[in-house]
Amino acid sequence: MTAQRDRERLQRIAAVVSAADASDPARAICDACVAALPVAGASIVLTAGGIPTALASSDAVAARIEELQATLGEGPCADACESGRPVGEPDLAAPRRARWVAFAPAALAAGAAAVFALPVRIGAVRLGALTFYRSRAGDLSDEQHVDARLMADVVAHVVLAIQAQAAPGTLGPALEPLVGHRAVVHQASGMVSVQLGVGVGEALVRLRAHAFAAGRELGDVAADVVARRLRLG
Amino acid sequence: MVLLTERCVELLDVSAAGLLLSDGSGALRLMAATSEATEMVELFQVQSDEGPCCDCFRSGVPVNAVDLTDESERWPRFAPVAVAAGFHAVSAFPLRLRGQVLGALNLFRTEPVMPGRADMATAQALADVATIALLQNRAITVSHELNEQLEHALNSRIAIEQAKGVIAERLTCGVDEAFSRLRRFSRNGQRRLSEVARDVVEGRLTPEEIDTIRR
Repeated sequence: MTAQRDRERLQRIAAVVSAADASDPARAICDACVAALPVAGASIVLTAGGIPTALASSDAVAARIEELQATLGEGPCADACESGRPVGEPDLAAPRRARWVAFAPAALAAGAAAVFALPVRIGAVRLGALTFYRSRAGDLSDEQHVDARLMADVVAHVVLAIQAQAAPGTLGPALEPLVGHRAVVHQASGMVSVQLGVGVGEALVRLRAHAFAAGRELGDVAADVVARRLRLG
Repeated sequence: MVLLTERCVELLDVSAAGLLLSDGSGALRLMAATSEATEMVELFQVQSDEGPCCDCFRSGVPVNAVDLTDESERWPRFAPVAVAAGFHAVSAFPLRLRGQVLGALNLFRTEPVMPGRADMATAQALADVATIALLQNRAITVSHELNEQLEHALNSRIAIEQAKGVIAERLTCGVDEAFSRLRRFSRNGQRRLSEVARDVVEGRLTPEEIDTIRR
């Protein structure tokens, strides 16, 4: 009986490894993780220019959760990236620890009842996080936590393997969404830096603050700036 | 790794298992095995240049032989050693990630039986998991370099987007037009686009200077 269970567990993890060979490996890995673990959705998030950016998400709710964290600058993903340790909240409605005052209610409203983030790292190199959400509250088992960490290791190797195939000085093609997805935010940071006479880093902070105060997503606010429907300062 | 070969024996009902890895020069070396008996070690050693693991490593696909007494033509050195050690059937599964083959998982049976479809899938799954464990151990230095390259490439691309914004705002043009001007300037001065972009973002080069190149 246990052998049969072990065998199935092993094959679920192996499916995540095999997904690395897909034409869109990041998305395929997210989907394989969702099939392998009792979670509703998954995202692969890498830090790019100070913003956690989803390389891929398995569904719209997972994408929305990442967008929220990018806007608010807090959440399990940021904590996992910063600490290099797994971070989770099995019940966002009744959290074990008071944290993420802005993110938790917003994530609940978006349809997540529990969130988990595993650091994507190799040794001291920290790349980002593999994040999961559940639509019902509840923790993962110890065994599932172990499997999830292994899946995050797979992500780390796949990201570097993609970059290893890129021409010197260029970005691996499968990593292109990291810039493409946020191009408007970076452009808006440039524009706001001129409007306020500050550096682009500070401009990004102001953009985030504006989005948070207005209850909007960072990407939407940035699009308004680039289209000149909005000026800061 | 030894644990992994032991799990193979348990899960797959094989008699012995070993993990062979490429040493960088392309030769396979034994990393771990369920038994350290001399005849076993020899069996893995002989495969440094011939045998199922070699074939598997070179082709990247699983290799199976049901009756080793029939295989002395295919593997003149390996087959007799394996038969002498009491084995009849052998399989090898590749350790691979994104097109790269790192080594092979080698399984031996005393009976001349072909592994079933489910066993084949489990064995490949074990090989896949071994690949990740292995990369985790060996890849630290390479990872640092690759991560630096990744960060550099990302930052270059992001600086270009930010510079487009700076130029668009200062020269009151669209971001596409801003990009055309940035590119014209960098081509004209034969400089890298990302370098020029960084100079703009960090204030070493003004959008007005960029705009002196016109056409």
